[in-house]
Amino acid sequence: VLARPVASFALAVTLVAGAPAWLGSSSTRAQIATAPSGDGNAPTRASGPPRAPRIASYSIDATLDHAARTITGSQVVTWTNATAKAADTLRFHLYYNAWRDANSTWMRERSLSRTPPPHMREEDRGWIEVTSIQLVTDPANPRDLTKRLRFISPDDDNPDDRTVAEIPLEAPVAPGATIEVRMSWTSRVPRPFARTGAVGSYYFIAHWFPKIGVLEDGGWNCHQFHASTEFFSDFGSYDVRLTLPRGWIAGATGVERERQDQPDGTTRHRYVQADVHDFTWTASPDYLVRTETFVHPTLPPVAMRLLLQPEHAGQEARHFESTRAALRYYGEWFGAYPYGHITIVDPAWQSGAGGMEYPTIFTAGTRWLAPARSAEPEAVTVHEAGHQFWHGIVASNEFEHAWLDEGLNTFSESRVLDVSFGDDRLVMRYFGGFVPWVLDDFRLTRRAESYSAAAYRHAIGRGGDTPSLPSWQYSPRTAVATTYHRTALWLHTLEKMLGWETLQRILSTYFQRWSYRHPKPEDFFAIANEVSGRDLTWFFDHVHRRSHDFDYGIETFRTNRREGPAGSGAMYRSTVVVRRYGEGTFPVAVKLTLDNGEDVRWDWDGRERWKLFEIDKPTRARRVEVDPDRVLMLDVHRTNNSAAIEPDGPRAARRWSLVWLIWLQDQLLTYGGFV
Amino acid sequence: MTAAGAFRDGVRRVNGAPIVLIGLFTTTLIVALPLSIVLRGMIDAHLGSSAVASTFAENANYDWWDEFSVQASGLGTTFTPSVIGFAAVLDNTSRLLDNEPLAATVAGATAAWLTIVSFLSGGIIDRYARRRPTRAHGFFAACGTHFWRFLRLGVVAALVYGWLFGAFHGWLFGAYESYTRNITVERTAFVGRAAAYAIFAFVLAVFTVIFDFARVRVVVEDRRSAIGALAASGRFVWRHAARVAGLCLLNAAALLLLMAVYAALSPGAPRSDMEVWLVLAVGQAYIFGRHYLKLLVYASETSLFQGVLAHAAYSAAPVLLWPDSPAVETMTNVEPTTAR
Repeated sequence: VLARPVASFALAVTLVAGAPAWLGSSSTRAQIATAPSGDGNAPTRASGPPRAPRIASYSIDATLDHAARTITGSQVVTWTNATAKAADTLRFHLYYNAWRDANSTWMRERSLSRTPPPHMREEDRGWIEVTSIQLVTDPANPRDLTKRLRFISPDDDNPDDRTVAEIPLEAPVAPGATIEVRMSWTSRVPRPFARTGAVGSYYFIAHWFPKIGVLEDGGWNCHQFHASTEFFSDFGSYDVRLTLPRGWIAGATGVERERQDQPDGTTRHRYVQADVHDFTWTASPDYLVRTETFVHPTLPPVAMRLLLQPEHAGQEARHFESTRAALRYYGEWFGAYPYGHITIVDPAWQSGAGGMEYPTIFTAGTRWLAPARSAEPEAVTVHEAGHQFWHGIVASNEFEHAWLDEGLNTFSESRVLDVSFGDDRLVMRYFGGFVPWVLDDFRLTRRAESYSAAAYRHAIGRGGDTPSLPSWQYSPRTAVATTYHRTALWLHTLEKMLGWETLQRILSTYFQRWSYRHPKPEDFFAIANEVSGRDLTWFFDHVHRRSHDFDYGIETFRTNRREGPAGSGAMYRSTVVVRRYGEGTFPVAVKLTLDNGEDVRWDWDGRERWKLFEIDKPTRARRVEVDPDRVLMLDVHRTNNSAAIEPDGPRAARRWSLVWLIWLQDQLLTYGGFV
Repeated sequence: MTAAGAFRDGVRRVNGAPIVLIGLFTTTLIVALPLSIVLRGMIDAHLGSSAVASTFAENANYDWWDEFSVQASGLGTTFTPSVIGFAAVLDNTSRLLDNEPLAATVAGATAAWLTIVSFLSGGIIDRYARRRPTRAHGFFAACGTHFWRFLRLGVVAALVYGWLFGAFHGWLFGAYESYTRNITVERTAFVGRAAAYAIFAFVLAVFTVIFDFARVRVVVEDRRSAIGALAASGRFVWRHAARVAGLCLLNAAALLLLMAVYAALSPGAPRSDMEVWLVLAVGQAYIFGRHYLKLLVYASETSLFQGVLAHAAYSAAPVLLWPDSPAVETMTNVEPTTAR
């Protein structure tokens, strides 16, 4: 770890003796995690008895200067050392410094991805500067520690990265002790590089304040900001006062408790929310505000507030129905949404803020021209609303185990879309992406069979990372495929192996048991074994602890006439060789179909490189297929999974080449205007 | 002569030479068909003996298609869902206006086709200018006579189009990007992009029309100098801008109408043998229509030029034989009383 002292900053910290009643005197994070989570059935519940361990709570005053595009803020962080060891330093995330220049770790990693960041103009940059840090041991005489602040790069030693700041303390914070830190800061709001920032008068502001890391028994878990991973923080309470231009519509984590117009032409909004691990807000003069309520016979009601772009007026129902579907099915399958309110933000065009989740607020995303038969905005809305459960409530470490949130959520989303909205159609976009065209010929069933498989297929050619690696170490080029799609595909496989009822019990047990507790992969695997009553270690070894890809195929298939025993008539010997082309192994079935419609099935453990199957029947074989029920969803090379004695390839090729011929002729004529 | 009159006369001239239409259509088919056969081999090879082929033969199979695209190279990369039905038209038009590069194989085929059509256009314009059958030997002799002039014209055209697509397009759409950089309303940005398309299409049309009339003047006036023809064409377009613009709009409207009809009638992916033939029939009818409109541009521009230019009956009489140019034929046949 490279530590770089910075002279121009000051800090002061106050030790607050004692620990909350639920904490205990020698608590560890594991013990804290067993704290009861409260009832939580009240709609628009923003405070009350703790349902989560309130380790890091914030009281923030912030003022937006729209003309200068800056935010000036001050905050009081009340933090509890929930580990068994004393803390002699504090670490804070300063995410906005990822866009200070092109040398940050985020920018360097992003430049390696398939979608490198656009050229960073001077006016696009963002940064956050902590101007004062005080430890308040005596309110009348706070200890200024600003000059102790230094930037560190615990992950990659990048000397130019300023997204993590460390403050050495004069006296360690004892286990169970609570301190109060006062900080002042100024930040420049960037043009959105990663779903936070401003375009025009549209602001979506996330990861915007100095945020304390997570102290674990092994030390600080406070990673730098990486291009392919998201966030991790402790639960707490937020009381935030935002001063914004008057007349602007605001939305934020929590509920708005007060709104006061100020003499200087601004308005002060106060938002409060307990038992969340982050606070995000948005403001714009252009939003349309729509509200509806989610009502369910067994789930608590939820007030839904939609902040809609005026050009999307008419798409209200699609946003509400999608959110309603997520709240319903996630609630029925996994557990109730406890907060009683949720804010859906329809982001402005090219704000780069779409498709992101934050506690009790999320961004969806749609287009001006959004065909009814497409899954836009339904898919992204269900996905982000669903994150309220896996990201917002279970809250695993997304720096290290991003798949626990994104993978589970991608799988869950696909099931909700399947039961709520049915098949999608493929939509192509032309003319700079503005003009959609629906291809009705493509009915995309359960999304993992289409988008997840397709996305994963494109990525594994480049060699996916081992999923058990810390997510921030994934290649920026394949991180999404590994995190989202590989996980979703093996969850679909698990569903087919165990049945939905069992998988649903696994997921609901995981949700109920680990809500507000930051589980790790082994916690999920243990529950899967426990609930299924089977040792699934072999499965998780293959899909999670190794980067192997899976590919079974038919290598040889023939059926030959041979003379049977005297008087028995002609017999046909059908020969099948199934080969394992990939490194991953999985038990597979092989189905042989005869000319008379009879099926013959064999089971193979799939471990050897190849396996011979032979059978004598009085009827010729017609086709053979390995994994005919498509259990092994990670086998995305499906063409070689089957073979036919009389293949239809030439007929299919002829048909489609004739379709393509028309495209080519049109292409020639399109350029034909030049002669 | 009015633009509408030239358009109507162009229709008559195209209708009067169906062999030219069939010949051009066949030429395009001959260029495209070998590539289609190559692609058929690629699809067949990828499907192999797989039973997936039977489902793909019956309907679009996204899973297989995506798997194919992952391993595809060269020509195979062009086999995307955009080839189906009217999406093909959107795809090709969009690629042109967005200046997206073509796959190398398709670019080669396009260059070959443009060269062939450039060769044929001398005979085509000559045929429309004379308004009488020129027979094969006359047609191809005209092609040969004018080809080298057209080739010189083509060099200039290539430089101009290279500048249009290489520099002007980049500048124009760069300006669009700058203009819309802080716009947060997609509808507004779309209007901006549509305006950029309109500007680009207008500039493209202006230069294309100048090159078109240069070809017409090379043929009708038997001009040897491509540069001279280009200058003369520029003067003609400038002096008769309203009529030329009107004719362009009529031709563009006819193209849009044809596209709209195809959008409405295009059956999408074939699901049965019968549907394959339906897709092919409707598709080829559309392609035939595109050829008709392509020739209509030649014919109507020739008609406008001949109708507007201040020469008496500036077209060939039907009795004389090639190789005299249309102008020579006209002068030979002209009667003193009709001379102006």
